[in-house]
Parts: sequence; structure tokens; C-alpha cells
Amino acid sequence: MSWVIIERGGKRSRFAVVCTPRGVWVGWPGRGDLISGVDNHTNIAHRHDDVRAPMTGRVITVAAKGGARVAKGDLLVVLEAMKMEYRLTAPHDGIVEAVHCAEGELVDLGASLVTLTQSK
Amino acid sequence: MKILVANRGEIACRVMHTLRELGIASVAVCTRPDADAPHVWLADETVDLGEHDQYLNIDTIIGAAQSSGATAIHPGYGFLAESARFARACREADITFIGPSPETMEQLGDKRAAHVIAEKVGVPTVPGARDINTLDEARSASAHIGYPLLLKAAGGGGGKGMRLVSDAAEMESAFAGARHEAQSAFGDVRLLIEKYIHPARHIEVQILGDGKRVIALGERECSLQRRYQKVIEESPSPGITQATRDALRDAAVRIATVAGYANAGTVEFLVGPDGQFYFLEVNTRLQVEHPVTEMLTGIDLVQEQIRIARGEPLSDPPTARGHAIEARLYAEDPYNGYLPQSGGVLMLEWPSHPCVRIDTGIREGDRVHPFYDPLLAKLVAWGNTRKQATRRLRAGLLASVVLGIKTNQSFLLDILDSEFFAQGETFTSTLSGRQWTEPPPPDCLDEIVAKASTRTPAMSAGAGDVHSPWQSLGRFRMSQ
Repeated sequence: MSWVIIERGGKRSRFAVVCTPRGVWVGWPGRGDLISGVDNHTNIAHRHDDVRAPMTGRVITVAAKGGARVAKGDLLVVLEAMKMEYRLTAPHDGIVEAVHCAEGELVDLGASLVTLTQSK
Repeated sequence: MKILVANRGEIACRVMHTLRELGIASVAVCTRPDADAPHVWLADETVDLGEHDQYLNIDTIIGAAQSSGATAIHPGYGFLAESARFARACREADITFIGPSPETMEQLGDKRAAHVIAEKVGVPTVPGARDINTLDEARSASAHIGYPLLLKAAGGGGGKGMRLVSDAAEMESAFAGARHEAQSAFGDVRLLIEKYIHPARHIEVQILGDGKRVIALGERECSLQRRYQKVIEESPSPGITQATRDALRDAAVRIATVAGYANAGTVEFLVGPDGQFYFLEVNTRLQVEHPVTEMLTGIDLVQEQIRIARGEPLSDPPTARGHAIEARLYAEDPYNGYLPQSGGVLMLEWPSHPCVRIDTGIREGDRVHPFYDPLLAKLVAWGNTRKQATRRLRAGLLASVVLGIKTNQSFLLDILDSEFFAQGETFTSTLSGRQWTEPPPPDCLDEIVAKASTRTPAMSAGAGDVHSPWQSLGRFRMSQ
């Protein structure tokens, strides 16, 4: 752990910082956040057609079948972490090009679970 | 006397503090991911259980008690705390289960049986239907009760296996989801349906019974919830009259007395906008938010549980004083669907204040695993008034530092700073009905990051890699 002191207009403020390979964790009163790098699925640079794990967890259901046509909102995969279920549905109409996970498998945040092609 | 604590995290740590205070030897149990967890270090000895899911294995836990020579088991909350089968297995192994008898747990822990008892002693219940096993049963019962309604697991609480169903079209997917969660959380697929009371307060009464007499230690309001999980709890409730308060206590005592309740428990109610209350369920265990009552009364509920389990009679209820508020610090992203977060805790600091209590089960350097509950800590503040308790809790949250994992810290502060909270306008629907935005970072962020990058050597990938909790598991397995 370490702290940095910032002086602005004669006022000294102290901030908690921890450097990691993914960026710098910065703490200020009431909040801490990872500032640079990648920390969640919203800023992971991902291939357009990949449906990715929004959290680290266990795959409990794989509803998507390779080659199947799906409509927007169709269930693809169900993940579970900390006893909470998260249902991943198709973001758009398309064809399931590949399924990259299996039931019971542990997947990391950001892992590609299903590749979906856009229907023309 | 030697007591095994069949739990992990903050509640195992909290129970062990009391055991140490009372001079009772303690036995921890731990799974592989928890081999180095704080509760292990607080205990006098530890029994390894094996894989991450073994906190739920009755035979393994009973075996751990026998091999360590423990004569009693404290179940904490969650895991096996509300399993009558577990309580019975303890009895058969001649081990004292610190909680009510298996008969009481079956009678009250099962919502159906509990509602029959409530109705028998004249306590109203929410209109609904029980024993829902098929989609057709769910559909026909719902048509009768009317939407909106709630689908719930018959076998447990804590919001697991629960779904709000707004109309008939949503029933099919809600039914499948609730049934699956009920199976994985409680090993019991039975569901029940309830009319949705709106806007409602969730108010519960802490009780203690010795098998002959039951006393009420006051209520806790736990209306502020997300995904049906409590976030902020307080006592006294800011939203009920003294008459309603007295009636709630009386109803709780009537239900527990007729069941011959022996040990600590909580009777939960929904209170409608008209002050009409409905019995929900009895939690036959210590609650997560039990410190709120402890702060108000000065009582140690774990100590009371042990006294009752030893057959000692109840002492007279202490007088409650002032106001207490608890905030639950979760490893989750409140601005992104409350998604649970796992990873390494890289930096950790807690406030120090005579009226702010911190119950936690994490230390700096620990990992938060995806297998278990995302609760990191509970901050509980006491004050002479609600306003003072709120200010103290707010100061405590501002002084807390958790880096390495996203938490709901700023979300808790936003709640405490909100107008609805100040007015005591707290309902079960309040949090979900609001848009919550991530607070902006400090102006000088670039300067902070620049300074940090030059001053602090980047951590090696091994120690600081928060990408994959599975990696640390892999290393652990290899060293076995």
C-alpha cells in the first residue's frame, strides 16, 4: 500500500494508491476504483460478435447450440457466482457460430462464451 | 466446553470473538480456498473440509466436530444454519446444535408450516399459494391471487430463489429461474407465491426464547434492499407508530411462544402503507444484521445463544437506547447490475470510532472468492438520535479504504446522503426504483495516477494479478 500527496491551491490531499499490471487503484474518501487498464466487461476491447462473461463464475447452463439461429433475447448461457444466477441472452438476432464453454466450467470475467454472427 | 463454528467469513470471526471472551475453545472449519482465511487464524484449532462446497456437507461437518472433540456447533447464518436435518444429525451424534430444536426449525423454518401457526395465533399473513411444483400450478394460483406477485423458495430466505412477476407473460422464465436457484441454494425445489404489497416496509423482530418464555428485543427495519438482499438496516424503524411497534413485538412473541421457541430467532413482517402488517417468515438463526440490536441493547446475542443452548433461563430484556444503523459493504458493482466481484484485496483500512463497529472477515492480501457470499464487512453505527447514527456511519464509510476489488461503498454513502433516507421514506422498492450514478473521480486524478506510477513499483503479475481467482486455486492444489 502507499499514499500520494497532491497539493492544489495550498490544500494538501492524501490518496491511497496501488499499482497493478491492469492499472492503478486509487482510493479517495468513500470510493476506490481501478483507473487505467481493463476492469470490467464494459471496457474490454472485444470482438464484435463475442458474448462474454460479465463476471467470474461457473457455467450452469449452456442453452446455445452451434449452428442454431437465435433471436434477440434468447437465452444463451446461465452463469452463477456467489449463489446468484446471471442469464446471458442474445444481444441481437443471429447464428451461433461457436460455443466456447461447457456446463460446470469455471470462467473468468471477460472470457468469450459464445460467438454470434449478425444476421443479414 | 469446545465449540465448532460451522461457517466462514465475518460471521465465523464474530462468533469466535465471543468464544474467546467466554474462555470457550473454538474449532474452525475451512475449505481449500479458505485455508488462510481470518476465521482460521482466530480459532484455537482448524479442521480442513476439502472442496469449496463442503460447508454444506452435514457428514463432513459432524465428522469435524467428532474428530476435534467439539461438544457443540454454532452454525452462524446461511449454509446449514436453517437445516433441520443438520440439527437432527447433531442431536444423533450427541453434539449440541446452538439454535432451536429440529422440530421447531421444521415447524417455523418451513414457510408453509409457519404461516399455519401465525394464522392459528391470529397474526395476518400475505395472501398467497403454497406448494407450487409445476408451471401450471404457478399459473392457476397466480390467476387467482392476481399480479403483481412474488415467487419464492419454500425452503429458505435471503432472496435466493425469489422473483417478482409483473404479469402472466413473465411467469415461465421466472418459474424456471426461481426453481433452479431454490435447488442450488437450499436443495429444495418447492416454491410459493405471494401477493406483492406495495410500497412495503420490511420490519423484523429479534426474539430470544428458552423453551418456556419468549422475549422480544425490538425491531429492525430492513426495507432498503437490492435484488431482495438487505443493504441498510436500522432500529428503531423510522416509519411506524409506537402502537404498530408494540403490535409487531406482540405478534412475534405469540408465534414463537406457541412453537416453544428455544434460542435466538427473527420474525419477519411486511408492513403496508396503511400500517397493516403481515407475517412473512421466521429465521431460525442469528441474522446478518443482529449487531443493530446488540448496539441498541448492549446484549451479546451469540453469548445469549450459548447460554440458552446450555439450558440457562432467559434474563430480562435490556432497555434499548438510541439508534443504530448497519451498512453492508459488498464486493459488487452497484452501477452495473450489482454484479458480484471477486479478486484480491490489495489495500484495506477501517475507521476507528467508539460508536462504529466493523464486523469483517477479510484482511489486506486476502482473495474474495466467487464461491461465497459477496459480503465483505458490516459497518454499524450507534447514535443518540437517528441523525447522529447516520452521521457516524457516513464518517465511517468515508474513512474506509478497499482497493483491489469493486465495492458498493459509494452507493451506501449515496443512500445515507439521500433525501428519502433522511425522511425515513424507506421501502422495499426504494432502491430498485431509482437511477444510481457512479460518482466522478477527483479532479486531480491524472496527477494522482502519474505520481503513483513513478513512485510505486508495479506489482509483479504473480502477487497482484487480480484477473483470475482460479489461478490461485491451481497453485494451492499443486502444493497439496
